[in-house]
Amino acid sequence: MFWRIVRHEWQMLKADAVLWAVVAIVGSAIAYGVWNGTRWVEFQHGAIEAASSEERERLGRLTAQLERVAGGERVSGFADPRNPSNLGSRLAAKVVVLPPDPLGALAVGQSDLLPSYLRVTTESRESLLASTELESPLRLLTGRFDLAFVVVYLVPLLILALAYSMVSGEKEQGTLALVLAQPVSLGTIVAAKVTVRAAALLVLVVCLAVGALAVTGVSVTDGRTIERLLWWTATVAAYMGVWFAIALVGVSLGRGSAATATLLAGAWLVLVVILPSTLTLVVQQRYPVPSRVALVQATRVASDEANAQGARLLAAYYEDHPELATGDAEQAMTDFNVVRLAVNDDIEKRVRPVVAKFDEQLVRQQALVDRFRVVSPALVLQEALSDLSGTGAERHRHFVAQVAAFHDEWRRFFTQKIVAKAQITDLSTLPGFAYAEEPASALRARILSALLTFLLPTLALGGLAFARLRRYAVTG
Amino acid sequence: MIWTIARKELTELSRDGRFRLLAAVILLLAVASTAAGWLQFTAVSRQHAEAQRETREQWLNQKEKNPHSAAHYGMYAFKPASHLSIVDTGLDPYLGVAVWLEAHRQSEMKFRPAQDRTAVQRFGDLNGAEVLLVLVPLFILLVTFPVFAAEREQGTLRQLLSLGVPPRVLVAGKALGTLAGVGLVIVPVAALVALALGWASAGSYLAADASRTLALGATCLLYFLVVTGIGLAVSAWAPSSRVALVLLLGFWFATSLVAPRIAADVAASRYPTPNAAEFQRALDAELNDPEEARQRMATLQKETMARYNVTSLDALPVAFSGISLQSGEEHGNEVFDRHFGRLHDQFSAQARFFQWAGVASPLLAARSLSMALAGTDFEQHRHFARAAEEYRRDIQRTLNDDIARNQRAGQPYLAGSELWNRVPDFTYDAPSIGWVLGRQSTALAVLAGWGLLAAGLALLAARRLTSHLG
Repeated sequence: MFWRIVRHEWQMLKADAVLWAVVAIVGSAIAYGVWNGTRWVEFQHGAIEAASSEERERLGRLTAQLERVAGGERVSGFADPRNPSNLGSRLAAKVVVLPPDPLGALAVGQSDLLPSYLRVTTESRESLLASTELESPLRLLTGRFDLAFVVVYLVPLLILALAYSMVSGEKEQGTLALVLAQPVSLGTIVAAKVTVRAAALLVLVVCLAVGALAVTGVSVTDGRTIERLLWWTATVAAYMGVWFAIALVGVSLGRGSAATATLLAGAWLVLVVILPSTLTLVVQQRYPVPSRVALVQATRVASDEANAQGARLLAAYYEDHPELATGDAEQAMTDFNVVRLAVNDDIEKRVRPVVAKFDEQLVRQQALVDRFRVVSPALVLQEALSDLSGTGAERHRHFVAQVAAFHDEWRRFFTQKIVAKAQITDLSTLPGFAYAEEPASALRARILSALLTFLLPTLALGGLAFARLRRYAVTG
Repeated sequence: MIWTIARKELTELSRDGRFRLLAAVILLLAVASTAAGWLQFTAVSRQHAEAQRETREQWLNQKEKNPHSAAHYGMYAFKPASHLSIVDTGLDPYLGVAVWLEAHRQSEMKFRPAQDRTAVQRFGDLNGAEVLLVLVPLFILLVTFPVFAAEREQGTLRQLLSLGVPPRVLVAGKALGTLAGVGLVIVPVAALVALALGWASAGSYLAADASRTLALGATCLLYFLVVTGIGLAVSAWAPSSRVALVLLLGFWFATSLVAPRIAADVAASRYPTPNAAEFQRALDAELNDPEEARQRMATLQKETMARYNVTSLDALPVAFSGISLQSGEEHGNEVFDRHFGRLHDQFSAQARFFQWAGVASPLLAARSLSMALAGTDFEQHRHFARAAEEYRRDIQRTLNDDIARNQRAGQPYLAGSELWNRVPDFTYDAPSIGWVLGRQSTALAVLAGWGLLAAGLALLAARRLTSHLG
């Protein structure tokens, strides 16, 4: 019986203009979204290539210069390519890259706000992390029209549009009582109607998304991509499940079509628009992050003090070693470097607690968000989709942590050379960086928890709806 | 007659539970967002004012040093928060708040507040403008969709028109009644905003801010009228209230959520900007061109010696180092003007395109105006960045002139607080409302066009009401 109704519903749906309107809207939105995402990935690749080629050329020039200097060419202290201080702070600056994921086109996520390449030098951690991409501020404000936007915002609306009059429409036409005169329960009919609609929409969304990806040149046949796409499909399906369950609850209330539509539109508004922005507001009020201006000033004060100390350091050094204070330019240069090192270290030590305050507030904010994310399925999905396309905040944190470790290593390396007053003649001895992806299991665990977050309300709301449908007033 | 209809509409609305719930939700969100905006504003403006004072003190308290060391020590300029950012934070979270003013370099403004927030913010900030320009219009549409459609379904429309009420009067009365209902929500919100503004400025509430606030209020009102007109027209035209609802929700979704994204996308691809690496590289290549520096130095030496009628640099009555530093600055300024000018021109063009895109969605025009009036759009960011840069150039000129006058060859030269004091304090005056509106003429025209269109549609709808009876 169930499958007979499913077949019949499918015939009905095919004949309904609403389905084809949905197909047209979803089709064009997905195509545009994926195309848009692909262009953004291309932009990122271009930016990374620009930064890397600048580095390659710079190091090439440096190597040539090192050879000339080894051959006896004279250079001034500030430009000496063998000087570890010059190399570490400017000449050999290392470009570190967070490579865009092959599936980056699925969701822009935070990748337009958080830079995917940084220049590591011996300068402070803060100046390293403060760099940004030149992105249109308007587009940062409005957000992107990417596939994630289509799935998070548009698909639920279409689900509600397909489902809100499933029962009330038949009741208003007068066909409901006729159908139920047959040996079939309302629950079975509704289950069949939902099955048809959900299957049609899911197949549509997944096929179009994968098709669009393939058309834009993303390889969709290797094992990793297939696994990711399967997770993507499961997550989107579960999200759609939540919305069908919400629609069913609306339907089961037994109101007229227009009233049900208003109610469901209200639910959408609350869950997708109001709750996320309210959460932002609450989080910011609960754990406000001070303006970075405070950090700028703290750094300023610290460097003033450290610099004063630095001059004293050098003076003390000369008092101890008057024979070294020859005024020789090269000697002064090395001294200057040692002092600068001490000063920079001192600044870092003084600024660390202020920076820590920013980081702590952010961690608290994130914890609060993680705790309350479940209030809105849209938030859970956005996070999961960004995660799956490697554009989420989590992957970026992973990157920043590695960059921080590398920054420490870079500074240690050059500090040793500077203190030892050694020269560097071979650039291949400098520390290198390659981003190590976070383990796939961590990602899987996060996606799985998102799936569970969707599953529970789907079951609860779905159960409630079917229980109510038993008492549905078929006539009158 | 109009008043009777309006009163009936209002009474019916106020008895509707859904209306009351929606109104309560919107009021609550307005209160919360205004309060948050107020807290944010007071915190930020306190921090920035304090920092601006500190940076000045640090500058003045520098010990004796060579003016060029002071130039490298530099100063910071912090962007002040505008009063109306309480209502509309606009682009502020995505633009930097501080810029370092040092020798040789114009810097981009650094530290975007958005980078210190969680990813959830990308769903949109809940600020006054968001409530006024996105949620209130949705509220209006939800209130207007059944106005004619439901009366037609109930059969009361035919009855009503048979009484001889002219359709135009009916439409006007219904519009008035609906607007009065909306007013029940808006007026408290507006009062609240005014209160928050007054409180935040604590006496320093300037006439400029008052006119900006009024203009912002007028913008919102015009936008509400547009939405009401469209809502009534669709309600009169649609075959059923269900269709009216679906159409109006579709309109809201397309104009409020889809259109801004597409407009920003198209703007960014029509007026592309280079990536940061390319930008920096092109800038550095021109700034540090050794050949250019050599030629410029040679010409400068020749010219300077000619001007003072001497044959060697040592014989100059001024220090050549000061003159050469200033020449470097001037070369830099010219390069910066070109590169930053090109970049900022593109961002400005994107913002102008956004105004034009208002043709497709009235929200874009209203949003553009609201950000501009709140002082949180790109043009006013650029205005501040420009002022800070001019100030940086003044500092460099003052210091380099001092070097040229006082440095003696072969001797160390140290300047003191007299020179530091000669650099004036940095003050920034936000542009006038005329300046702002002059740059928003497209948005103004587009929004006015929408007003006319909505009024026309509502009148056409009035005609349809009678023809439909036929």
